[in-house]
Amino acid sequence: MRSKRKNISKTVILSAVLLVVIGFAVFYVMRQALSTGTIFTPRETRPYVAVIGKSDVSAFWISVSSGARAAAAEYNIDMTFEAPGSEEDYEAQNAMIRAAISNGAKAIVFSAIDYNGNAEAIREAIDAGIPVVIIDSDVNCDDVSCRIMTDNYEAGRLAGEHALENNPGTLVVGVVNYDVNSANGQQREQGFCDAINESGRVEAIYTVNCVSTEESAYEGTMQLLAEHPEINTLAALNELMSLGSGYAIRDLGLQDDLEIYAFDSNVISVGMLETGEIEGLVVQNPYAMGYLGVESANNLINGTKLPSANINTTTTYVAYDNMYNIDIQRMIFRFE
Amino acid sequence: MKKAAKVSGISLSSVMTAAVVSIVATAVIIALLIFNTFFRESMDNIAITNSEQSVDQVAGTIYNYIDDMKGVMDSLYEASLRDPDSVEEFIEDIIAIRSDVVMIATYDIHGNNTGVRSNYKVKDLITRNLSYTTVPTESGISISIPHVVSVLENYYPWVVTINKGVNGSFSNASMIAMDVEFSNIAGYIDGVGIGQHGYCFIMDGDGNIIYHPQQQLIYAGLKQENDDINGLPDGTHLQGGIIYTIKTIDNCEWKIVGVTYLDETVNNRVNTMIIISVLILLLVVLLSFISGSLFSRLFTKPVNKLTDAMRTFEGSASKFVFEPVEGVSEVESLSDSFGHLVTRIQELMEEVKAEENTLRKTELKALQAQINPHFLYNTLDSISWMCEEGKNDEAVLMVNALAKLFRISISRGHEIITIDKEIQHAECYLQIQKFRYQNQFDYSFEIEEECKEYFCNKITLQPLIENAIYHGLNMIDEGHIKIRIRSDGDDVVMDVEDNGVGMSEDQIKELFLSDITDKRGIGVKNVNDRIKIYFGDKYGITIRSELDVGTCVSVRIPKITEENKYEK
Repeated sequence: MRSKRKNISKTVILSAVLLVVIGFAVFYVMRQALSTGTIFTPRETRPYVAVIGKSDVSAFWISVSSGARAAAAEYNIDMTFEAPGSEEDYEAQNAMIRAAISNGAKAIVFSAIDYNGNAEAIREAIDAGIPVVIIDSDVNCDDVSCRIMTDNYEAGRLAGEHALENNPGTLVVGVVNYDVNSANGQQREQGFCDAINESGRVEAIYTVNCVSTEESAYEGTMQLLAEHPEINTLAALNELMSLGSGYAIRDLGLQDDLEIYAFDSNVISVGMLETGEIEGLVVQNPYAMGYLGVESANNLINGTKLPSANINTTTTYVAYDNMYNIDIQRMIFRFE
Repeated sequence: MKKAAKVSGISLSSVMTAAVVSIVATAVIIALLIFNTFFRESMDNIAITNSEQSVDQVAGTIYNYIDDMKGVMDSLYEASLRDPDSVEEFIEDIIAIRSDVVMIATYDIHGNNTGVRSNYKVKDLITRNLSYTTVPTESGISISIPHVVSVLENYYPWVVTINKGVNGSFSNASMIAMDVEFSNIAGYIDGVGIGQHGYCFIMDGDGNIIYHPQQQLIYAGLKQENDDINGLPDGTHLQGGIIYTIKTIDNCEWKIVGVTYLDETVNNRVNTMIIISVLILLLVVLLSFISGSLFSRLFTKPVNKLTDAMRTFEGSASKFVFEPVEGVSEVESLSDSFGHLVTRIQELMEEVKAEENTLRKTELKALQAQINPHFLYNTLDSISWMCEEGKNDEAVLMVNALAKLFRISISRGHEIITIDKEIQHAECYLQIQKFRYQNQFDYSFEIEEECKEYFCNKITLQPLIENAIYHGLNMIDEGHIKIRIRSDGDDVVMDVEDNGVGMSEDQIKELFLSDITDKRGIGVKNVNDRIKIYFGDKYGITIRSELDVGTCVSVRIPKITEENKYEK
């Protein structure tokens, strides 16, 4: 009688174990079926990643957003790209960060307008358990998960080295920089100035900080050249500075007397490269930033280890001579 | 039997479970192998066919598009031959109508630009012109790789340039170049999907990528296309689970490469099939397990129970009590049959036992009925001798004693009589013998009154007294026989004690062996046997004897009363 009861309980236990195994297998198959894509994940269940940039009009940021979109499509992520109307408005960025937190973002890909001004909002996101991936411009926070950006100091040096190469004589340098709170601009300026200073061929460096608009850069350049007409080398540290400076030189007719080393590219600055207002462009890899930013966010959401907490994207120096090389074409002219 | 059962300790249900599982497992594995071979093959073929069809379609579409553009070019050339003056208008019309034509430029024999016609503003200063390529072979057509248009102000669309030599047929131009937006082709290529993640891209004859849906990633250094496919001829190639279908477009030097992942299309399904099969297998294991235990409960266990019952029955048939076994109808009928068998055998055994008893009792009765002729003759001789001597009173006493002795001996055929009657019987016998042996011995009774009411076998004491007289007292004078009857717990003990010569161990043994001693009627053995038959082995005769001191023969019987004398 006892052994019989024992047998029955053994049967029950074995049956239960088998049932559990079958259950797991069914679950696995269902998941497999779901993940093979025959049944698509509904939009609502896809992880939401907020990408917050500094602008949505500049060529640079359009390229970032298309890179982010490519990664979002590849990893099946619900991605939004937002940027304030003005490249100065870090408060608007902070509002976007908080909106992303309350909208249940699983990760935030962020580019800081203000190194310190955005820190608090980023801190809030991290405290809410949302991993933050920084692209392009850093923020004053040690706990962000990953930084994907150009090595801006090296980018600055790259421009400086080409300036030295093109001008064997004495350099009188003007720097048209944007927001003094932007880490990127400061690092580029630092790199550029360090490279120039190390040569010992520099007479003076004059810096003007403008608001990040074409008009402001134009006026800043005009003012700088009015005050220091002896300037023969000009560094314009972002896309809009490049345009403003370029227009100023064009209007002043100084194409042949002054060399501008500019950052980033758009069709106008590329045209200026051809017409001679701009001597060289340091072109970043915004598409890669956007793509890697969202890819890293996806990895963070899935708990995959990131290859590195700091990823430097490439920079390329584009001048009149190489601008129509096929690989440079592919880099600076967007494929519509 | 027991050993055999233990050695073959595999139960039927586990054998059944194992059989079912192994059959299903074999079937599933064979099915999987067949599935894997045939299905995989057919899936591979389907994937390859899909890839080939898609690539053919893409190649066809691009062929048509380029053909169309060439047609435009040809009609432009023909128009220039027919009516050189209207060509400018014709070009204007083309640019106006065909939104994908970005620019049409003409070049003289030295390659100098003789005119750029476009809807967009042409740069004031054209430093370089990417749309100009070397003059194609006479009146031939060439198609450039995609490039940006470098002559338009702030507009750098990606185009392919179609060049045609015109031999100065219009405006002294030797070549016409038409820049056609590449985004039409690119958009089309982007939209092509093969399988779930398959795509196709355009490659030139040297393996350089003309257009790739993921070219931004490739240019940004984030992705790479397999370099091994560069040198491959047209057709389908399988490399590392990826199907590459390559087709060269006839009217240009481009190749369409279709990329499909075998893993996704086939492996997923095969894996799903394997998982489903494993599921089925598990389910079968579960079901066969359940059915096995059910089978065991309904069949194996009842059969085992029945086997155990049979083994027990084998061991002790008479005391066995059969409990019917429940199970399937086969087992139940088996159980019923066995039950009947058990009952029948037990009945038969009882019958045999009863018959045996009856037989023995009959034999005993026959023996009892025998009157020892010597005893009767001697007694009658003594009586006649008494009569002769005129001892009438004594003769009367003798005759009375003899008569009483016989009456009690017969007791109307009853085997069991009261101890009181048995004592009378013994007394009669002693009286007769005392007369015959002329008071050579005397005797005494020591009876507990209580014991008289119990019953005993008749003629129990007489053979013992006879034994005492013949073997104990024969040679000596003043012999004394003492008969003592007492109660001992639930038993009654009757002792016949003499003070004679006693018996050796051998003599005692002999007493229990021979049925009838010296033809003197009923012997000690007979008494002992009868007690044991009636009351069981617990009871019977024991003899204590000491040579030259005396012998005590004890009879132990249960206390039999009027009420229970027939039960025994």
